[in-house]
Amino acid sequence: MASAAEVEAVDFEPEDDDLMDEDGGIADAALDASASPRAPLHQQQQPKLKSAITGGASSSASAAAAAAAAAAARKTKGRGFRDDHHPESADRSSRLANSNFDSLKSGDGPGPQRSVEGWIILVTGVHEEAQEDDLQNSFGEFGEIKNLHLNLDRRTGFVKGYALIEYENFEEAQNAISSMNGAELLTQIITVDWAFSSGSSANGTMKRKNTRPPRERRSRSPRRRY
Amino acid sequence: MAGVVGGEEELEEFYVRYYVGHKGKFGHEFLEFEFRSNGMLRYANNSNYKNDTMIRKEVYVTPAVLKECRRIILESEILKEDDNQWPEPDRVGRQELEIVMGNEHISFTTSKIGSLVDVQSSNDPEGLRIFYYLVQDLKCFVFSLISLHFKIKPI
Repeated sequence: MASAAEVEAVDFEPEDDDLMDEDGGIADAALDASASPRAPLHQQQQPKLKSAITGGASSSASAAAAAAAAAAARKTKGRGFRDDHHPESADRSSRLANSNFDSLKSGDGPGPQRSVEGWIILVTGVHEEAQEDDLQNSFGEFGEIKNLHLNLDRRTGFVKGYALIEYENFEEAQNAISSMNGAELLTQIITVDWAFSSGSSANGTMKRKNTRPPRERRSRSPRRRY
Repeated sequence: MAGVVGGEEELEEFYVRYYVGHKGKFGHEFLEFEFRSNGMLRYANNSNYKNDTMIRKEVYVTPAVLKECRRIILESEILKEDDNQWPEPDRVGRQELEIVMGNEHISFTTSKIGSLVDVQSSNDPEGLRIFYYLVQDLKCFVFSLISLHFKIKPI
């Protein structure tokens, strides 16, 4: 058992070279410098991602320089920084590399991103004693809530402070955001915004006004009601 | 920290990655996710059990989501902790938590934590408890995001 694990470890050893990771490519390296010097997820050069990444390459290059400077001054802490010889960390760079991550691509500029079955909004500042009914009551008036996640703090058992709400239609979600952002719910001011974006926020900020997506991709074929 | 990117919104330095996994008879089974400051959220879950294939998902989240993620981390005060007294990763498994926020960069590793009993019996129960709950809260957040967006059961 133990020997098997060691053999396995040896197999992975040669791949464990963070310096090599940095050679991934300019755009890639730039993003990674701003993310993490040793981020393992970064080596993917899959075509799907490339457009998104290289699209912002010129602007992120200068950002990366700034980030690199910031990284130099950064305080580091933890065994993760000296564990690179560890067998388990060896395949870190390979385990998520070179394969496509599924995503729902829109190809539009940054704006809200439709999810598989609808539009998801994030509510933050939710009172720790809020109940699903409280959200159902205040957000249900903009449309039928297809899904509601009101997650709990694992330690206290109270509401963690956020909720994710799914509407079927863009307009419902948009109305909920416009009407409820900044509103008061159970004595607390809540913030409401889209949860998903169609692109990197490094390539331009989310522009609330231009969020309406082109008509043809707004939803699947209409459901027949009658 | 990163300054103004493209003359637009300021993207504060932010990176979060969590990994948990082990190698066993079903190969390298693991779960990993990361948030980047540009909004990219990636999620991967691999198990070879019954020839399962790896799930890899990625989606951009809005600054609002990143902000909430940051709040969860800040309120946990994990950045004040240190992993030097935590159980070392072992053959049963390994967890990694890497966070970059502003000028702080932590990269903690430890073994799998089965329950609070493991936390209590460790050399740093206070610190490990913070890690234990933070990881659960982050996973919970990510699972909700991924399952709502892709309509899959992440685990």
